[in-house]
Amino acid sequence: MTLAAITTLIVGILFGYLGQRSRMCFVGGIRDFIFVRDTFLLKGMVAFGIVSWLGFSLAELLAATPGGGFSYASADLTRQAVLSGFGVGFLSILANGCPLRQHVLAAQGSVGAMAYLVGFFVGAIIFYKFSLPIILAY
Amino acid sequence: MNDPAPYSIHRLWGWLVTLKISGVQAGIAMAVLAVLASAIIGNRTDEAYGICMACHGRDLLNWLVNIQFNSKLPVSPAFIIFPALTTVGVLVGALIGAITNGEFRWQRPENPLLSFLLGVLVMNFALLAGGCATRLLLRAATGETLGLAAYGALVAGVILATYLLRWWAQR
Repeated sequence: MTLAAITTLIVGILFGYLGQRSRMCFVGGIRDFIFVRDTFLLKGMVAFGIVSWLGFSLAELLAATPGGGFSYASADLTRQAVLSGFGVGFLSILANGCPLRQHVLAAQGSVGAMAYLVGFFVGAIIFYKFSLPIILAY
Repeated sequence: MNDPAPYSIHRLWGWLVTLKISGVQAGIAMAVLAVLASAIIGNRTDEAYGICMACHGRDLLNWLVNIQFNSKLPVSPAFIIFPALTTVGVLVGALIGAITNGEFRWQRPENPLLSFLLGVLVMNFALLAGGCATRLLLRAATGETLGLAAYGALVAGVILATYLLRWWAQR
């Protein structure tokens, strides 16, 4: 458990540095391509997807980490995943970047991104106090 | 005479400060880090859990609230004793990058209340989906059915919102 905490700190620092130097955004690539046909971020996103796919496959072969793989998912869970995934994508574009990009912008001095992060963490409390009980009730 | 040695700390610092990273290079490096972190952190209940700005942020916040108020908010099994520090790490890493390259500057927000509300909504949808945009792509990369469905929907949401913004700007 100590190893997990240290790992997240080190990986977080490297992610933050790489994200700041490259302007990496996991929704911005598609947006930039549609707006101005710029493929800088889109290529990064595709590279991330391909390398992580290869990495997880290799890790599963070496039995270092369990893989997800295709499995049965109920209609309710699939509907929930689709609606919430759509919400994350739609709202992240309106917010001008994915959560990773918002963290990087906040560290660069953007007060708007800092306000977003305050809402982000307040949102976690709202989720467990209000949203989840309402969702579970239905 | 005053030139630093070929492998001096000055040269290393200079290389770090002027380092240009392309999107592809960043994507590859981030993917390797995410898979390695998933292998270290992951277990059956938390697949592809190496990096997630929403779930790790939730884990850190809930861990702090549980310690402070003796509550029982859910925390991932990997972070019950020591908290997930991804949020702190990303902020520190990006701050180092911004300061070393002279890119740190205070920027006034256009509409901080709207940013706050969007933050609340994105966190709620992300926790329901089981991850932020980064982790949804990671889950899709593992071939997980729900991860693929959520990531496909995320891409659809991004495309629709982008066309909506373009229509709004051209109105």
